[in-house]
Amino acid sequence: MDAAPLFIDHLTKYYGTLCAVNNVTFTINKGEIFGLLGPNGAGKTSIISTITTLEEPTEGSVSIFGHDVTKEPQLAKMLTGCVPQELVHHGFFSLEEILGIHSGYYGLYHNQERIDYLIDKLALNRHKHKKVKELSGGLKRRMMIAKALVHSPKLLLLDEPTAGVDIELRSLLWDFVRQLQQEGVSILLTTHYLEEAEALCDRVLFLDEGKTKLIGEPKHLIRELTEREVVMVLKQPVAPISHPHLVNQTDHQLVFRFAATKSMGELISELPLETRGIQDFIIREGKLEDAFQTIMRGQHHDG
Amino acid sequence: MMAKTTLIPFWTIFMREVRRFLKVIFQTIATPLISSALYLLIFGVSIGHEIDVGKGISYLAFLIPGLVMMTVLRNSLENAVGSIVTSKFVGELEDLRMVPLSTTQIVWGNGLAAILRGLLVGVVTLGVGYLFFWFVNEQVFPLKYPLFLLVFLLIGGLAFAHLGLAICMLATNFEQVSAINTFLLLPLIYLGGVFFSLDQLHPFWQVLSQFNPLLYMVNGVRYGMLGVSDVDVGFALSVTVITWIICYALAVWSLKKGSYKRW
Repeated sequence: MDAAPLFIDHLTKYYGTLCAVNNVTFTINKGEIFGLLGPNGAGKTSIISTITTLEEPTEGSVSIFGHDVTKEPQLAKMLTGCVPQELVHHGFFSLEEILGIHSGYYGLYHNQERIDYLIDKLALNRHKHKKVKELSGGLKRRMMIAKALVHSPKLLLLDEPTAGVDIELRSLLWDFVRQLQQEGVSILLTTHYLEEAEALCDRVLFLDEGKTKLIGEPKHLIRELTEREVVMVLKQPVAPISHPHLVNQTDHQLVFRFAATKSMGELISELPLETRGIQDFIIREGKLEDAFQTIMRGQHHDG
Repeated sequence: MMAKTTLIPFWTIFMREVRRFLKVIFQTIATPLISSALYLLIFGVSIGHEIDVGKGISYLAFLIPGLVMMTVLRNSLENAVGSIVTSKFVGELEDLRMVPLSTTQIVWGNGLAAILRGLLVGVVTLGVGYLFFWFVNEQVFPLKYPLFLLVFLLIGGLAFAHLGLAICMLATNFEQVSAINTFLLLPLIYLGGVFFSLDQLHPFWQVLSQFNPLLYMVNGVRYGMLGVSDVDVGFALSVTVITWIICYALAVWSLKKGSYKRW
């Protein structure tokens, strides 16, 4: 079982003449949380839909642990759980009944132990006898996560799991996602919240208009694509300084902005200052969001 | 392993459908109960005396098997349609696509649950027919060939269940489903020999009716109960089976090619 949990191979998807996914290739490694990022309409959900076979690829292929999703869908689906972006309502059944039915689809007849575990883990105990329409948005979202996990999948697809979710639930979900990762589950996460991607993902892929813009580890991307802001707090005012990275100077502060690849020692040595005159440093690191902005502006090739 | 991958998922779909209609059992039973009682009262009892269907049987006796078959077919179809249509509206059908179910499991799970509901309602309708027949004739309504009866009810009902599934899978909105119901199924049902004998029709309609598979299903059921039929029973059985096979193939094809997307 050495095949990658998910391998997207030169995937292209057209809807009529609209190209939603354009020759995208990536692999998710075992136990990795992989973020698929991009603006609305970038092609994130189209990729998820081809993985779950809701859509057929126009070109290219998707395989899950070596099983091509169009050729061996049953085997691929047994290993995958998916939390779709849009909420699913089940008219007639209670939350617990839905989890039981969903287990049955995977051939699990006696699955109460796992169901109880998930209900407990996602704090759904008080609501398990309610019908879906009686649940709030956040509870519905949690139910869908439980549903995706009834068969203990090895690959989990989360399509914007925290969209419209409050802070408390978001942190509960983040913890749970991290725990799943520790249990060896590989996770594909699409999100609008770059803060979320930065906090959770081992690697991210930026997608724009269906094309791969960049793949990498968040901390590397931040290092390479963003500038850090360094505020030097001075004991006493100094004469006006001229330096290429200096963006602002006041009596007690010098504000610099420069690439994270440049060292602090380098900066200090370039300044006509006595180190004893420096009271303090305030460093603001770049965020994934800044890297994202840089990429979307297409500036990463220049610098 | 066989049970795990084949039977349990099938059983799950089947039971899900059964539980779904059991949750609305009152509507399921009460609606056909009232409508068949009205049909029997108005057509069978009140104006039935005026109608001669020949073959030495009363119009009420003639009507009962037709009503039973109509009820079975409509309920089988409606159960399949209701299940897929609501699933499409709420997005549940997308779920069905994401789980490792085979088309065979879906077609049989959905189909057998639908025919179970059809038969359940059919039995209720037959019960109402029994009561009417008893009160009017003070005789027990005959069931001459119960095995024949069951075969026609089962295969006919299954055909309609599969047809309902196929219609909903291929439809891209609800209006298409109701259009097919109004323009295709209703005429087929009402011109399928439920309310009149083939002999009573104008020769043009007689010829046309022979292309209606429902005519054979209804007459098969009538033969099973009364031992009389407008058409050859062997031929009726063949047509019913062929219709079912076509509907089954259509259902399998629709699950492969149809849309699972929500409406």
